[in-house]
Amino acid sequence: MAQAETDGVTDKRPLSPHLTVYKPMLTMVMSIAHRISGVALYLGALLLAFYLLGLALGPGAFGAVSWIADGFVGHVIVLGFSWALFHHLLGGVRHALWDRGLYMDPKGRELLAQATLGGGIILTLLTWILSTLAN
Amino acid sequence: MTSRTEFISGRTGRGAAYVSDPSGAEHDRFMRLSARALLPLGLLASWFIVGLSGKSFEAARAEIGRPFPALALIVFIAIAAPHARKGVESIIEDYVHDAAHKETALLVNKWASIAVALLWTLAILLIAAPR
Repeated sequence: MAQAETDGVTDKRPLSPHLTVYKPMLTMVMSIAHRISGVALYLGALLLAFYLLGLALGPGAFGAVSWIADGFVGHVIVLGFSWALFHHLLGGVRHALWDRGLYMDPKGRELLAQATLGGGIILTLLTWILSTLAN
Repeated sequence: MTSRTEFISGRTGRGAAYVSDPSGAEHDRFMRLSARALLPLGLLASWFIVGLSGKSFEAARAEIGRPFPALALIVFIAIAAPHARKGVESIIEDYVHDAAHKETALLVNKWASIAVALLWTLAILLIAAPR
């Protein structure tokens, strides 16, 4: 599959427009959002690795990571990470339902896409409110 | 559909493009199974991670030091790391076309995901280990 692309022949073929002409629909936006949230979780896990390492190595090392973690940017990152996690999680549920052939009609597809977006936001808010109350 | 280029079979000529790639099935199976496990694990992990936000050094250590959060986070990253690795592999295969860049990207992805899993596990064990 790789060799077909490195021929150079594909460079010369004209492409029909896609992103510039297709009307953005919720289902397709949720599809790419599933991928984007996945990448965000990957990067977030990397940042959390540094945070946990700082926590493990002692107050000096923790000082190096905490100035980001405790600042505004740090809180935004954790908020974004939790939102990405819930969104990606519900997106996975959406795909699992589709795998079983459920909710594949036009109304069902739209419902699942809305549920993924709305549910992700609701779960994020719920978690943060409960966490604030618990601590 | 008529093709103006001569069809070259994968079996006889240089058409590696036309040979079937069955590796997708194993990828698909692992993603679906790991996703099922990550449903409860992800919810747990996000609860503990959100709980860490804003905590002081001692408070954060006390929280991670308890066995349940520690184990939950370790099991989470043990399954999430290969899941994330395969996910990013799909992304690299989709968007990186240059063969050399693709090899490098896949290699970096492989070791980054292993490193993240090991760092999480090591850090949590160091925090939770009894003195």
